[in-house]
Amino acid sequence: MSLLALDEATIKFGGLTAVNAVSFRIQPGELFGLIGPNGAGKTTCFNLITGVYRPTSGCIKFGDRDIQGSPPNLIASLGIARTFQNIRLFKSLSVLENVVVGGYLRHKSSFWSAVNFFPSAIRDTERLRSEAMDLLRVLNLAHVADARSADLSYGMQRRLEIARAMATQPKLLLLDEPAAGMNPQEKEELNGMVQRIRDEFGLTVLLIEHDMRFVMSLCERIVVLDAGREIAQGPPAEIRSNPKVIAAYLGEAV
Amino acid sequence: MNQFWLVRAGSFVLAFAFAFALDAAFGGGGYAQRLVMLAALWVTLAVSLNLINGITGQFSMGHAGFYAVGAYTAAILTTLNPALAEQNKLAWLLLMIPTGALVGAIAGFVVGVPSLRLRGDYLAIVTLGFGEIVRIVAQNINIKTPKGDVGGAYGFTLDVKLTAVWVAWMLAIAVIAICRNLLRTAHGLAFLAVREDEVAALAMGVNVTRTKVTAFVIGSAMAGAAGAILALFEGRASPDMFTMDQSFIVVTMVVLGGTGSITGSVLAALLLFYLPEKTRELSNMPISSVAGLFIGIGVAVSLARMIQQRYHGPVAQRIGLNFGAIGAGVVTMAVIGFVLQQVPAIAAQPLVAGAKLRMVVFAIVLIVLMLLRPQGVLGHHEFSWDWVRRTLFRKPAEVPA
Repeated sequence: MSLLALDEATIKFGGLTAVNAVSFRIQPGELFGLIGPNGAGKTTCFNLITGVYRPTSGCIKFGDRDIQGSPPNLIASLGIARTFQNIRLFKSLSVLENVVVGGYLRHKSSFWSAVNFFPSAIRDTERLRSEAMDLLRVLNLAHVADARSADLSYGMQRRLEIARAMATQPKLLLLDEPAAGMNPQEKEELNGMVQRIRDEFGLTVLLIEHDMRFVMSLCERIVVLDAGREIAQGPPAEIRSNPKVIAAYLGEAV
Repeated sequence: MNQFWLVRAGSFVLAFAFAFALDAAFGGGGYAQRLVMLAALWVTLAVSLNLINGITGQFSMGHAGFYAVGAYTAAILTTLNPALAEQNKLAWLLLMIPTGALVGAIAGFVVGVPSLRLRGDYLAIVTLGFGEIVRIVAQNINIKTPKGDVGGAYGFTLDVKLTAVWVAWMLAIAVIAICRNLLRTAHGLAFLAVREDEVAALAMGVNVTRTKVTAFVIGSAMAGAAGAILALFEGRASPDMFTMDQSFIVVTMVVLGGTGSITGSVLAALLLFYLPEKTRELSNMPISSVAGLFIGIGVAVSLARMIQQRYHGPVAQRIGLNFGAIGAGVVTMAVIGFVLQQVPAIAAQPLVAGAKLRMVVFAIVLIVLMLLRPQGVLGHHEFSWDWVRRTLFRKPAEVPA
């Protein structure tokens, strides 16, 4: 059974159909790419999956559960985590605290014990902090754990977004342009990092990316959107030579 | 007994010792007692609003409304049960505090659930409206009961009156402790996350609506508890005790202390409460001195700002330069005061009453602080000696690679 299935997912904003009957299925453990020219509806697709928007019609299934229209925090608790295209860190919190918030879903102590600062709450917070520290090591951010997240370099902020999303211990990780603004070397590192995360944590990854070399070398299957419609689906080699995809990116031959 | 309970018992002993020491020092009645009583209530209000405004980032301007709800609850119950209240005043006060808190919490819930969908300015307007509604309702509704009138424009007086400095300060300490505990756990980080970015907090699984409502309800409950103490302390409840000004002053305390900083709220509450009180004794001044004072402060502040923006040398030099700025201000003040005094038309003016200068001084302190430290006295930080050390002796910014 597929982990995530979009079935004719559609959303209209007034007269604009941002995502038009898009369907794809992601198998567990897959590295899946979502590409398309600017304005194709990729991020809107993410927003549909994560519950920011409710689809006008169509169906989104996570495992065997319908999730369209569920609130984002519920969807996060089911095991879908995401990063944001325009970085949305908790700016004035430290790097470590950002990741602890990601682990918030896994806290066990009650609000009452937090307010009373009972040992259970202290232990629980300590546990989340040490788990967060482990994740920072995986993403090579441990040395800046106490820095304010807004003070990090752009590439580090992107990695911190991934660490924060991973802290929710998701089954499906959505990465929205993770390599944007990175230099070639950083992209290379990120490529290895995403593969390692997938292998070590057994995650399924769905990513949006504009850098074709990055997507083609990383993803096992790709779906291409153009103007809200799905125009191609398949492994990278097929996508690269698909005339519809070339037309969408470069325009039709005259 | 394990270590946790030992520490907990120790902090309780310390808290009680502090509260009773204040009671012993100032509890004798009169002006000094009044000040220390009201200081505790202002600290409670500022710290509780900081939970809503500073920590959770929901700009609420109706805190006086919840203060009023708690006060009227306690006052009405006391009017209806004078015999019971008279029997054991302290027990009655200790009963009225949770009652005021409960009614404050209910009011917070009723106002919070619909209005916390709004953001920023809109929420501020709605909460401001709530504060005014409470006051106007109290002003216009006058209920006759067999035990006496309740409500009305002039308020109503209670038969029972009790001042317990230690109770007021224990409430303030409890409120501070609750906020501090919260911030040290993952729960508190969720509150901060809501302030920082709601969309990202949602994506991390934080129930944003519930978090906001929780902060609002707890903050209102704390204000309600403070209101109950106020009503029994003043021995009356009237609408003029809970005007919009009160809400504004609490907001000012939170912003001035540094939004989100508990210690900042406490410091700012004490400063803004004591400043207008302590300046009651200002002496009358000739108008030339007042003009000199204003211009002198202007000069000192502009110089200090220039140093802040353009000069990034060692601490000792920065402190020296700031003293220089203050010196320049004092000299300007003296010179201008002296020169103006030589003009016969100005020298002939009557003295400016010190009492009138009081609120001017208050305003000037606010303006100066906001100019020199717009992020608030403590910014987002909590006060600690380590923080002082780091701020003063900050090395040139190190960004780890």
